[in-house]
Amino acid sequence: MASVAEPFPVSYIGGRYLIFDVDTIAHARREHNICGVFIGTIPNLSQQNVFLGIPLELMAEEARVLVEGGHAYIVDDVTLHKKGFLEMSREDRMKYLRDMDQQGMEVARGMKQAAEDRTEKALKEKGLDRILQERKLKKLEQTTVESEAGAGSLFDSAPSTPTVASSPAPETILEPHYITPTTSHPPLPVPDPASALSLPEVPRQYPLFRYLHSKGYFSMPGIRFGCHYSVYPGDPLRFHSHFLAAGLDWDEEFDLLDLVVGGGRLGTGVKKAYLIGGEAPSKIGSVEDKQASAGERVESVRAFSMEWAGF
Amino acid sequence: MACPVASKQPVEPAPIQQLVQDSELQSHSHLPASTTLALQIQHNLQYQHAWTDVRVHSHSPVTNEPLVRPLLSGLPPKRLYVHPDEQIDLLKEAQRQRTAAKQAGGKSDTLDVKAQPEREWVLPARLVEKWTLHRLSDIFDAITTVPPESATPNVEDSAANPWRTTKRVVLATADTDSTVVFYIVHDGVVKPRQN
Repeated sequence: MASVAEPFPVSYIGGRYLIFDVDTIAHARREHNICGVFIGTIPNLSQQNVFLGIPLELMAEEARVLVEGGHAYIVDDVTLHKKGFLEMSREDRMKYLRDMDQQGMEVARGMKQAAEDRTEKALKEKGLDRILQERKLKKLEQTTVESEAGAGSLFDSAPSTPTVASSPAPETILEPHYITPTTSHPPLPVPDPASALSLPEVPRQYPLFRYLHSKGYFSMPGIRFGCHYSVYPGDPLRFHSHFLAAGLDWDEEFDLLDLVVGGGRLGTGVKKAYLIGGEAPSKIGSVEDKQASAGERVESVRAFSMEWAGF
Repeated sequence: MACPVASKQPVEPAPIQQLVQDSELQSHSHLPASTTLALQIQHNLQYQHAWTDVRVHSHSPVTNEPLVRPLLSGLPPKRLYVHPDEQIDLLKEAQRQRTAAKQAGGKSDTLDVKAQPEREWVLPARLVEKWTLHRLSDIFDAITTVPPESATPNVEDSAANPWRTTKRVVLATADTDSTVVFYIVHDGVVKPRQN
């Protein structure tokens, strides 16, 4: 895994926060407990949506937490691309296309090699190494024949076993493989952090998200469990979630039936606790710089975990 | 209200009646609705769930100010809540004792998890009520981690449980049909039990 320089760019496209770079995705997950949701699929097989791939879509809360921590910045990808590609010089473009061709050739070569290895392996398994050796011999002979350019030796090298394909596939001209790059830098330069967009707009349950994130929890969207976040004590690939979290305003009224009884039952039924929480307004310094008071604001969040008492 | 003369009672009044008629409660600072709710929950705990020493608290043990609403504290018949970490500890202890018993020649092969019952705070509520985080945090700010020890000294209270570090209340929610459901509410992020 290549190391990722911080802050890393997060693309803002059509109201979504996306990461296209695999290394950045791994970095965000390992270092910052940010999972996001994979939304990429194969364009012509969009119904294949069980295992999705890049890009990774971040919740606005995730993007905000990364930006507030100084780990990422938001980039308006549409204007960046319009500007970047329309103003690109011909020279740069040709260089980029050559690069792509070169990479395509490498891939094609690799694929051909892999195919040959596969054939070799399959033949060996069937005990037909002989064919392989013959092929190799033939190749060698052909090259020697061509170099000698003698007509007589042609008859001597006639195949002894007629079952084998008479001519080893001639060295076809390799077509470059067409590569779809997942990121656009290069050719575009890494976007300038100075031109970053402002902080992402977040829903009102953001304080709870930030609070849980500051305690090292991983959060995933909680719509499956009828809450805002399903909260994991570690990487969701390794742990079951501990909490179904619902964020509330400090003075927002809630029904006991909905949240405590319904949520508590649901949570207990799936061996989780139902967590409600929100920010206590008394401790927020309204004049203070938002970045500076982030730590204090984390402290002002109050959360309650609920479980069925069992009787 | 015509009260029967105490000298000759054909039937002893129900405990809840006695409680409601208690003169001390008449001078209570709380609204009658919240007081009767507390008594209803107290009755329910005592007679349907075999809790003992259920007391009504009208004032905060922390600040001595009147509570927002009367709270209860009581002793459940068996331990109501075991934190998952404490559970691991208890299981280890039980396993140790089982192997010790086996080596001593005992025949029993049961894993005896010993968790002493603990006093719990109970927060009475009605299902129709609306709650906010603010009100809930006010309740938690007014209580201690462990309810005050019983006034009667003969109740043997074990040493403080080192695992009990966060405040918790049992939220008793009463519906209009007198059904009461109980939920444990923790102050803060407390991982769930592996029940």
